[in-house]
Amino acid sequence: MTLFKIDEVRKTFRNGEVEEEILKGINLSLNEGEITALVGASGSGKSTLLTIAAGLQPATDGHVIFEGKNMSTMNAEDVRKVRASEFGFVFQFAHLVPFLTVEEQLLLMLDVSESRLKKQEQKNEVNRLLKLVGMDHRKMAYPSSLSGGEKQRVAIARAIIHKPKVLFADEPTASLDSQRSKEVMLLIRDLTKTLNITTLMVTHDEEMLAYTDRIIKMSDGVILQDAM
Amino acid sequence: MNLAWKEIKKNKVRFLILGSIVFLVSFLTFIISGLANGLSQDNAALIKDLPQGQFYMNTDADETYNLSKIDSSTQNEILSNEKDAVAFSLQMGFLNDQDNKQQSVAFVTSSDSKLFENVQHEEVIVDSSLKDKGIKVGDTLTNNQFSGKFVVKGFVEQKKYSHAPVAYINNEDYKEIYRTDEMQLIFVPNDDSSKQFAGLQSFSNKEFLKTIPSYSAEQMSLNMIVWFLVVISGMLFAIFFYMMNVQKIGLYGILKAIGVKTSKLFKMIWTQMAIITVISLILSVAFSQAFNLIAPKGMPFTLTIGTTTQLSIVFLIIGFIGATISGIQIKKIQPLQAIQQGEA
Repeated sequence: MTLFKIDEVRKTFRNGEVEEEILKGINLSLNEGEITALVGASGSGKSTLLTIAAGLQPATDGHVIFEGKNMSTMNAEDVRKVRASEFGFVFQFAHLVPFLTVEEQLLLMLDVSESRLKKQEQKNEVNRLLKLVGMDHRKMAYPSSLSGGEKQRVAIARAIIHKPKVLFADEPTASLDSQRSKEVMLLIRDLTKTLNITTLMVTHDEEMLAYTDRIIKMSDGVILQDAM
Repeated sequence: MNLAWKEIKKNKVRFLILGSIVFLVSFLTFIISGLANGLSQDNAALIKDLPQGQFYMNTDADETYNLSKIDSSTQNEILSNEKDAVAFSLQMGFLNDQDNKQQSVAFVTSSDSKLFENVQHEEVIVDSSLKDKGIKVGDTLTNNQFSGKFVVKGFVEQKKYSHAPVAYINNEDYKEIYRTDEMQLIFVPNDDSSKQFAGLQSFSNKEFLKTIPSYSAEQMSLNMIVWFLVVISGMLFAIFFYMMNVQKIGLYGILKAIGVKTSKLFKMIWTQMAIITVISLILSVAFSQAFNLIAPKGMPFTLTIGTTTQLSIVFLIIGFIGATISGIQIKKIQPLQAIQQGEA
């Protein structure tokens, strides 16, 4: 079932007098629970496409339809609400809040998404998810005392604690070594499959493609190949 | 979730530094304000302690009270028609104590009134600061222009004029010293400025204080320092929070990306500003009030709770403005920029 539709999306950047078209009319549908990888050389437009789909920047032209609602015509506050409650984000760097413990990072996300869970239920949910990502023993630790892999596990837990419908991951393993990258990808795959979360991921690392359901290859602002 | 308090708890040193600066600046402001008030009392307590009303002096005196001479018929007319009105004169002079040592005083004489001390011929009531100079009740004091002797009948608390203790003397004795029959001023308590008397110019209490030589200049300089310090503290807030915000641009961007409202980030800055300012101000108020108690006797220092409360509110407003100005950049942060940057 299609959850997300990208319809004739174009993005143009003006660099002084020169106008550069980064996305040249992209059409794409994401199915529920599917893990889709966007691959391509630097400058192919994959990260721009991901950020437009995630509502982090507007398209110059075209539509982003999420659950039948056109995000391209929503105001900034409505887009923020969708991001807070329906989307989850994992970035190249964990970007954890330095003054919050691991447990508080997740509680913050529940707060941001305006979770209806009661305080104790929220704590139980945090504990459950930290156990799933293997970080329950570090729940009182601050980010400064975590390793890169541990930080990324916490970032993944933060991205899905509020049960988003879509997970956007921008190079989630780029700052990790090979072993940690595999662990993180396995974690993303297991969790999104368990929770039926649709995932759109940008990656450079071909080894990570083994964990995805679909690979979309981009070049020069267009989709070259869409393979299952 | 109280992000503001959690950040303060995690970064104690950073916020302690800001708090110390706010404490020191506000403490210094309170001390200078206390000195300004103290000097103001020292300069014009005699006038400032009077109730609100109108002062009248001769129009020809050109707003200089010691050139004013109110003729007796006008004086009698006003005193008989206006309830509680009082005519008075004041001039700087000196008294010789029993050791023949000169003490500067401000001689004051008045018509019968509850607002001024009424003394008999050859009697004087002086400000209690002269006790420190060894003057006691019953002492005999002299003045070179006065043929008789003044017997000290008592003391009054905190009655100063032009940084000199006030000496209340009888009208007849005043006339002999200053060779004048007319009073300089008439004060009508609870009066409004709408009442005009022929040949007299009226002044409110505030306006009259401004006619006192040196009063305005002295107060203006000190108040300027006080307000400079208030502005500096506002700038400190703006600069400090700006520096912190610059370091946290990446973090704010990520928080915005995951859906945190910009207003929540502003609330976080305001809460931090409020916590730091309130704690610093409580300490400043406590320390400045303690200083009020232990300040050397000769130091003119008066710091009321009213003044500290007023200044504290100003500090909070200035802190709020400073923190808000520094927070404007948060509004401009694009989540995308933060994502494209490295780890915060």
